[in-house]
Amino acid sequence: MAEYAIQVEDLRKVYGDVIAVDQLDFQVGRGEIFGMLGPNGAGKTTTIRVLMDILKADAGTVRVLGGAPGAARERVGYLPEERGLYRGLRLDETLVYLGRLKGMSVASARKRAAALLEQVGLAEWSRKKAQDLSRGMHQKLQIVASIIHDPALVILDEPFQGLDPVNSEVVKDLIRDLRAHGKTIVLSAHEMSRVEALCERILLIHHGRAVLYGALADIKKQFAPNAIEIAPPLDWQGWAEVARVEARDRKQVVYLQPHIAPRDFLKRILEQGLFVEQFALATMPLEQIFVTVVKGE
Amino acid sequence: MRLDKIATIAWHEYVVNVRRIGFIFVTLLFPALGLLGLIAAGFFSGQMLSLARSQFVPPAKPAGIVDDSRLFTPIASVFAKGFVAFDDEESAKRALLAEKIRAYYVIASDYLATGQVTAYTENIISGSASTESGDLRTFLVNGLLTGKVNDATLTRATNPIKLDLVTLDSKGNRQGGGSFSFIAGFVAPYIFSILLFVSVFAASGYLLRSVSEEKESRVIEIILSSVSPTELLAGKVIGLGALGLTQVIVWLGSGFLLSGGIGALVAGAVVLLNPGSFVVAALYFLLGYLLYGSLMAAAGSLGTSMRESQQIAGLFTFCAVIPWFFYGVLLANPNALLPRVLSFFPLTAPTMMMLRLPMSEVPLIDIIGSLVVLLISIPIALWAGARVFRMGLLMYGKRPAVKEIWRALRNA
Repeated sequence: MAEYAIQVEDLRKVYGDVIAVDQLDFQVGRGEIFGMLGPNGAGKTTTIRVLMDILKADAGTVRVLGGAPGAARERVGYLPEERGLYRGLRLDETLVYLGRLKGMSVASARKRAAALLEQVGLAEWSRKKAQDLSRGMHQKLQIVASIIHDPALVILDEPFQGLDPVNSEVVKDLIRDLRAHGKTIVLSAHEMSRVEALCERILLIHHGRAVLYGALADIKKQFAPNAIEIAPPLDWQGWAEVARVEARDRKQVVYLQPHIAPRDFLKRILEQGLFVEQFALATMPLEQIFVTVVKGE
Repeated sequence: MRLDKIATIAWHEYVVNVRRIGFIFVTLLFPALGLLGLIAAGFFSGQMLSLARSQFVPPAKPAGIVDDSRLFTPIASVFAKGFVAFDDEESAKRALLAEKIRAYYVIASDYLATGQVTAYTENIISGSASTESGDLRTFLVNGLLTGKVNDATLTRATNPIKLDLVTLDSKGNRQGGGSFSFIAGFVAPYIFSILLFVSVFAASGYLLRSVSEEKESRVIEIILSSVSPTELLAGKVIGLGALGLTQVIVWLGSGFLLSGGIGALVAGAVVLLNPGSFVVAALYFLLGYLLYGSLMAAAGSLGTSMRESQQIAGLFTFCAVIPWFFYGVLLANPNALLPRVLSFFPLTAPTMMMLRLPMSEVPLIDIIGSLVVLLISIPIALWAGARVFRMGLLMYGKRPAVKEIWRALRNA
């Protein structure tokens, strides 16, 4: 059994004169939730389509679940960015057909479809046509369609697109549930807060190349500013160690001068006898890291 | 290539499309029209016939004869109802203007030497001239020969031909005879070839629509994550080909039933009298569908909408229809140079050969040659179709340029 669910080495994909992906390397471990990020046109969807064997790579090595792309189609679930379902077909018919294409028997596809529709709150709609569903319901149905065959690896391209907060939570729970059952999940999304909440490791692609790759905690540490999150808010007037202060909810983010270590700052606070309920190293939100990296490129 | 996946796609395509309102409507339209025609004929045949007669057949008035040759008067009693003698042209003209006669003929005094007859009429009714001349011919022959030959010779002279058509094969053996042979050997295979043609294009049309709809509804990428483009294409071609056949079978079946079994008899005779032609026609049908089907599927993947895909596919339909433009040439000589050339061009070969086969004995080299051309073209069309299909399916909202299509084929 291979260690990685996905291994990509030196991937290159070109459309005429446009280089969509170049020298891309990354691995996705089995059982992890992996985030694939990048601005529009960065090369995320092209990479995913190569993983799914919908597009052929021009160069590089790609292994999916230990084999060539396409060799393990029946063990991979896919929610494409450009998606839709048969509008004139009933939900159960659509799911059974897609399950059959993934190698399931009619009976097992029907049973699994009923269970998943129940899980996402669409059980009552199973005999309705897709054209009768709302946009949010459509989204949930498409996610169900991508996991109907209980795949080992699930690739979700923008799964939260078009979902309201309530349905986003349903999908997040579904993803966590998949993870709890040992599935590997690759998530491509624009909503950084959701990626932050779900993913353990990320890959940031820009202009077809990897610009950030690794464990989310390590990346956040790498981009952490020399700042402290403090509660309750205090008055820092006259403190030479403090460069600037930002209010955040009921807390403060105190940015220290470059030469001041947080440990020394804490020592000084205690010496002054100030009451501090919370003192923590501040981190940069993923969205800010994303913007910083993309703009800095 | 996974056969079970192809079968799943084929079955899905068949089941989903066979229950579409549009398909059911078109499939049942022809039998319904036939049935309606039969009912109408049953109920109104008497009235319809008299109405048609009143509209198209002139009232049964006699024709006038001004016989300057004196060879045909007095008029024999057997022609008394159809012809009336007049002494001169003036009295005949008065009778015509008074609508007592439908026309009058002036037979020249030197008729025996010249055969000159002048017909006078108020209005020319299309199609009646031949009838008129046929009646007059009988009248004249009868007048010339009565009393000079016996009755049998006279009958034969007025009605000299009872034609039986016998077709010989290349070895000189009789292939059958009579009008039944003509129907079974020419008319029925011709109708059969039209049906095959309709079936091929009906199925190709369904294929075009299916691909175009899946692309438009964005479901295609989900499908392509489960099957390869070639498997998808193969499944669609088989499933929708079966759908086209279903339609033709319903039409043929209803035709047989409505014709009271005569259709079945003729179809059986077609197969029995021309088993070779039947097998070859079936081969052209199959190969033609595979060729046009692959190209139609590729065309369906290229358009950004159903209408745009149909416009692209129109190019292939036009090629397939080209042989019909030369139908006149085909009737004159099915083995002329032009039909033979078009039989070797892949996009026109199936239609041209389906048209030529019932018309004459097509040279074996043409059959083998065109089949070989198709057998070579089909894998190329499938290969190219699958590549264009793969590229076109993923291009949303934009039709690929010729350069991009060429690149997709070159890089494959």
